Amino acid sequence: MAAPAATDALVSVDGVSRSFGDLSVLADVTFAVEAESVTCLVGPNGSGKTTLLRIVAGVLGPDSGTVQVRADAPRPVGYLAQRPAYRPQFTVRETIAFYGSLLPVDVDADAVLQSVGLAPVADRRVGALSGGMVRLLGIAQATVGQPPVLVLDEPSSGLDPTMSRHVRGAIDDLGAGGRGILLATHDLGTVERVADRVLVLDRGEIVASGGVEDLLEATDAADLAEAVPALTRPTDEIEVTAGRVGEADRAD
Amino acid sequence: MRTEDVLAIAQRELDTVVRTRLLLAFAAGYLGLTVGLAWLVASGSYVGVVLDTVTPTEALVPVLAFAVGYRSIVADRERDEIDTLRTYPISRWRYVAGVYLGRAVPFVAVLLLGLGAVGAITAVSGGEKISIIAAHATADSSLLYLRFVVLTVAFGLVVLGVALLVSAAARSSRGALALAAGAVLALILGMDTGLAATVTGGLVSPDGVTWLLALSPNSAYRALVFEFCVAPIGAAVPVGPAVVPSVLGLVGWFVATLVLAGRLAWR
Repeated sequence: MAAPAATDALVSVDGVSRSFGDLSVLADVTFAVEAESVTCLVGPNGSGKTTLLRIVAGVLGPDSGTVQVRADAPRPVGYLAQRPAYRPQFTVRETIAFYGSLLPVDVDADAVLQSVGLAPVADRRVGALSGGMVRLLGIAQATVGQPPVLVLDEPSSGLDPTMSRHVRGAIDDLGAGGRGILLATHDLGTVERVADRVLVLDRGEIVASGGVEDLLEATDAADLAEAVPALTRPTDEIEVTAGRVGEADRAD
Repeated sequence: MRTEDVLAIAQRELDTVVRTRLLLAFAAGYLGLTVGLAWLVASGSYVGVVLDTVTPTEALVPVLAFAVGYRSIVADRERDEIDTLRTYPISRWRYVAGVYLGRAVPFVAVLLLGLGAVGAITAVSGGEKISIIAAHATADSSLLYLRFVVLTVAFGLVVLGVALLVSAAARSSRGALALAAGAVLALILGMDTGLAATVTGGLVSPDGVTWLLALSPNSAYRALVFEFCVAPIGAAVPVGPAVVPSVLGLVGWFVATLVLAGRLAWR
């Protein structure tokens, strides 16, 4: 990925399209992620959110279009997968220390865990963690090496209200540290609390973008739970995609 | 050139093997079978124990290699850790190198432990020499057994590469297990049979069998064992691939499987 030219954006996505076989998942997607901001990607299941995040993170290539990331760090993009999982035989600290050892900089695993509130369970094996703690571990992993860009797929999925609040706080802190955060979520409560900008993705296209208030005003909605469905096309039936599970959006 | 990332991945693989009870059980089973077999055939003759154990070794070593290696890459893929790893400054080649190194260390350790135990049992056991070497008792030596150890470790490392390729190619652990089972059967039974059929079917001349059989890792290994561990005492050995094709065959398998594993690991 090359550094963006003449722009303040940390990430510039320009005309990105992606298909899996005959299934078009993304079509001409263009947006930017600024430094010290949180951009939330919302949309119905199967809209292409996970695929888009994987392309921005650099783990999947687009069929066309470009993604440019400011590459000022050994690790430009930190990524939280949609279903994070780690080797169950290792402790939380060992897991973070392992990822830190992949970088040419010193990483303080305890400090990383402290930043997301996992210090009390540093010596617990990953196999003994709850789902919420595994997701927090994933967020911690995403911050290893202090990447300027964070791409988080469903950071609060499956979490109880307390843990969700905790994750929201962690995301707020991460964004305030100068990073640009791009996250996909179905948790519209989190979006309303942390988003500087919202992108609504529907069937592979960005159908709306703006601040939370902008979207509410445009749809005359009281909250995003009303606004987002108003911005996306309704489906009369569940569409069974022909794409292979694991290549197209998975849990979406 | 920075090696800490490769070593970090290797260390993680090594720790994973050591912390996985099923793999430890497999290793214990392998050692039990190997040592048990050595006790049964013990005659005080190194060449004798090589002759008696080379065939079971051809089966046991691939089974152990696949047990150690078949989930090494596919498990990372199932956990989405491949995607996570790709956001770090490490290439697919260094990742595969680290995985291979980390799995190879405990694998070779178990092989050496078993072969060492067999050698020790042979050294302390006495009794009637087997007839094939009775006339050449002075030619039997621990050096011939040491060559067998080296060749067996080399064979094992080649098969471990095949196991990594299976893991990189599979989409799930279940698929990897099925591929591994098929690969083990192919190595132990299928390749030699198939290659022999090309000769009997007239597709290849008998003269060409020397090179053709070297395509089978098991045949190549067997040929090298007979050439370097049995033939020096003057015993008659079965017809098989010559030394150069056998070595080239094993090296070719080693390189090709790891290169393909690197291509497939991050697809």
